[in-house]
Amino acid sequence: MTSLKLNLGPQHPSTHGVLRLILELEGELITRCEPDVGYLHRGMEKMAEKLSYIQYLPLVDRIDYLAGFFYSELLCRNIEKALSLELSPRVKAIRVMLLELNRISSHLLWIGAFLMDLGAVSPFFYAFREREVILKYFEKISGQRMMNNYFVFGGVRNDIFDIEEIERFLEILPHKLDDYESIITDNLIFKKRTVGKGVLDPKIALNFGITGPNLRASGVGYDTRKKDSLYEGFSFSPIVLGNQDSWTRYKIRILEIHESIRIITQAIEKIKANPELNNNFINPLNIVLPEGEYYSEIEAPRGVASCYIKSDGKKSPYRLKWRTGSYYAVNLLRKLLVGEYLNDAIAIAGSLDIILPEVDK
Amino acid sequence: MNYLYFLYIEFLAKHNIPKIFGDITFYVIPACIIFVALILVILVLVLFERKLLGWFTQRKGPNRVGFWGVLQTLADAFKLLCKENITPIGADRAVFNLAPIIMFLPVLIALGLIPFSSEFTFMNFQTNVLIYVILATFPVLSILLAGWASNNKYSLIGGVRNVAQILAYELPISFTVLSVIVLASSMNLTQITLAQSNQYGVLGWYWFPCIIGFGLMLICTLAELNRCPFDLPEAESELIAGYNTEYSGMRFALFYLSEYGMLFANSLFISVLFLGGYLSPFGKYLSPILFSGPVGNILIYFEQAFWLFAKSFLIIFIFIWVRATLPRLASFDLLKFSWNILLPLSIVNLLLMSLLKFFVGGVYA
Amino acid sequence: MLKEFYYMLLSFLTVFKHLFKRPVTLEYPEKKSEVGERFRGKPYMKGCIKCGTCIKVCPANAIKIEDNDFIFDMKKCIFCGNCSFYCPVKAIKMTQNYELATNDVNDLKLLYKIEGRENERLD
Repeated sequence: MTSLKLNLGPQHPSTHGVLRLILELEGELITRCEPDVGYLHRGMEKMAEKLSYIQYLPLVDRIDYLAGFFYSELLCRNIEKALSLELSPRVKAIRVMLLELNRISSHLLWIGAFLMDLGAVSPFFYAFREREVILKYFEKISGQRMMNNYFVFGGVRNDIFDIEEIERFLEILPHKLDDYESIITDNLIFKKRTVGKGVLDPKIALNFGITGPNLRASGVGYDTRKKDSLYEGFSFSPIVLGNQDSWTRYKIRILEIHESIRIITQAIEKIKANPELNNNFINPLNIVLPEGEYYSEIEAPRGVASCYIKSDGKKSPYRLKWRTGSYYAVNLLRKLLVGEYLNDAIAIAGSLDIILPEVDK
Repeated sequence: MNYLYFLYIEFLAKHNIPKIFGDITFYVIPACIIFVALILVILVLVLFERKLLGWFTQRKGPNRVGFWGVLQTLADAFKLLCKENITPIGADRAVFNLAPIIMFLPVLIALGLIPFSSEFTFMNFQTNVLIYVILATFPVLSILLAGWASNNKYSLIGGVRNVAQILAYELPISFTVLSVIVLASSMNLTQITLAQSNQYGVLGWYWFPCIIGFGLMLICTLAELNRCPFDLPEAESELIAGYNTEYSGMRFALFYLSEYGMLFANSLFISVLFLGGYLSPFGKYLSPILFSGPVGNILIYFEQAFWLFAKSFLIIFIFIWVRATLPRLASFDLLKFSWNILLPLSIVNLLLMSLLKFFVGGVYA
Repeated sequence: MLKEFYYMLLSFLTVFKHLFKRPVTLEYPEKKSEVGERFRGKPYMKGCIKCGTCIKVCPANAIKIEDNDFIFDMKKCIFCGNCSFYCPVKAIKMTQNYELATNDVNDLKLLYKIEGRENERLD
């Protein structure tokens, strides 16, 4: 029996962008999988070497357009660390609130897209309905829905307002999540498609560099938010489930949204306790990092993201490197898809929450 | 139908026109009527589905073309007509062109078998049911041919998946239909309809005694129509569009039309088997009460057709509801589901119905 | 078995519930999305002092100043809002206009005249 070589992508409805998987099939059984990335490469790292830091800041939102705040926060944090800028408590609370809101919106989109991969159409629209509220709020305070460019070195651009809107939204959101859960979580077909499929052994996950919800679904309690200075003074516990399959990876994201709601409520209290916005701006035209290497990391929705800057004392970095969670998840497909059937492959690839702009950078 | 036929022949004989002419025209005209009605119904059906899917997901559905979006499908059809017919390199041209036509023909024939009212059955054979069940499996041939001729791996996988699926789901359908045949003691759809008219009204229809069969029939018809959650041959997120990936323009429109035509035909078939066909749910027809005299007597036929359509649209509503709710089954679960659960259940159902017929007999005779 | 049947029914009923809710669609050309004060749409300039900050902070090189002409190249602009935020005299504003589609490529070059400062040099 000769094997069938199938090109899944780069133009395919369920590869979440332009992922190309070269599959070798025997019947519908996958015997080999080779992910081919790079169709959305925009030279994010090379661009940094040509532009000054303030010019580069608006572009980093585009590394992951679903969670842009995380990458701007990362660059800001690195530069604040290098120039030892202190953030005021209100700025910190605002940043935490927006980051967690962004995490919710990213997870909501994932829930919709994952179920779309499995063939259920309705939850996709319901999830987008809730996500719209968050994006509308982002637009109101920062000026745009996804490419926010709201964090700047030493603070945030303007003060936020209309917090009541978010409070109201956070009251509704758990009920909406219950709605999704009653549609899918215990549905027989959904369970058949996901329970026991794509089992990710914690050892393999650690070896492949998987982080974020995917790792925590495999039973490893690694969450960089715990040691993050931004999240100091917030009480929350990273969610760890141990079943290692696609269903757990779905459930963990639902639970993470609930946890994010908890963090946001605390952040809103802090914002209300510190009514004065003190930005610690620096002159944007001559930001020069002292010679040396700088590194910072953050728990993005798709795993740990980190930014490494090597500066040679000029206006732009000598080298800038991003670490993004999805890149490692794509690499994992090589291992995870072998021995699965074609329609399970789609479900498994979807459950890892891969987003291509983050992979290709 | 016979009554009309003799009337027509008599009319022709008066004007000295040979009988052969009457024979031909009498069967050509109904065929044309079916064709035009089918196209109209499909246009409504597509809009119905899109609107409902929109409402299920808190959208408005199509609402731009024409008032309230009523002309949307017409515009879509017109667009498809204007598009280029592309045949991919390496495709088997003859088979590639033939496949959509093979898909469309059985729909036309299948609709002719349905008794729309007590007088309008275009082809009233004694074994209507059997012919229908055979015709309903015809699309699988076309889908396999389309998948094989397209020279596309996604199409091929879709076609092969469909064959396995139809093989698995055709058996439960046959057994369920058989149980209805046992209940009605007839293979003629008109006879089956009439057998359901008794003093129990709505409860006398076969969905009540044969509730397992009704459920099985709904599930299996979903599989036969390749609709969600059994839409594996055209699983969008896996196979792009499955067997019709490479089709464009009018050929794609033919696939699309026959898919919806088959949906309509199958929902009619289920309503005839289980929901009393053209019988009124109130036990008697309303038109003689509302209109006295000959008008009421003629309107009765239209009322019967109306009840049949209403029932079939109820079933289509259930299908759309299912599509809005459920995710897709995996291909192996789908086959297991049929062979392990549906097939034994349908055999048990057949046994139960035979026992019911044997012991309670009188009510369902 | 009974539990699974219950969950199946639950998912059907939850979807059915949404049939009676009001659509959330925004019918675009008739009803327009309301954007806030801070929305970053089509840029506008009045009262430039030719300091050149905007040129230096623009990531896309979309701003050009030639003598008395202040030019936004909308083909390059990414609407990041850096120029308006760092402008020392707040001469550049991002307006609420987001309908930028046009049939004429020349419409994408926004030209604003700089008034009253003819003799000053650009540093």
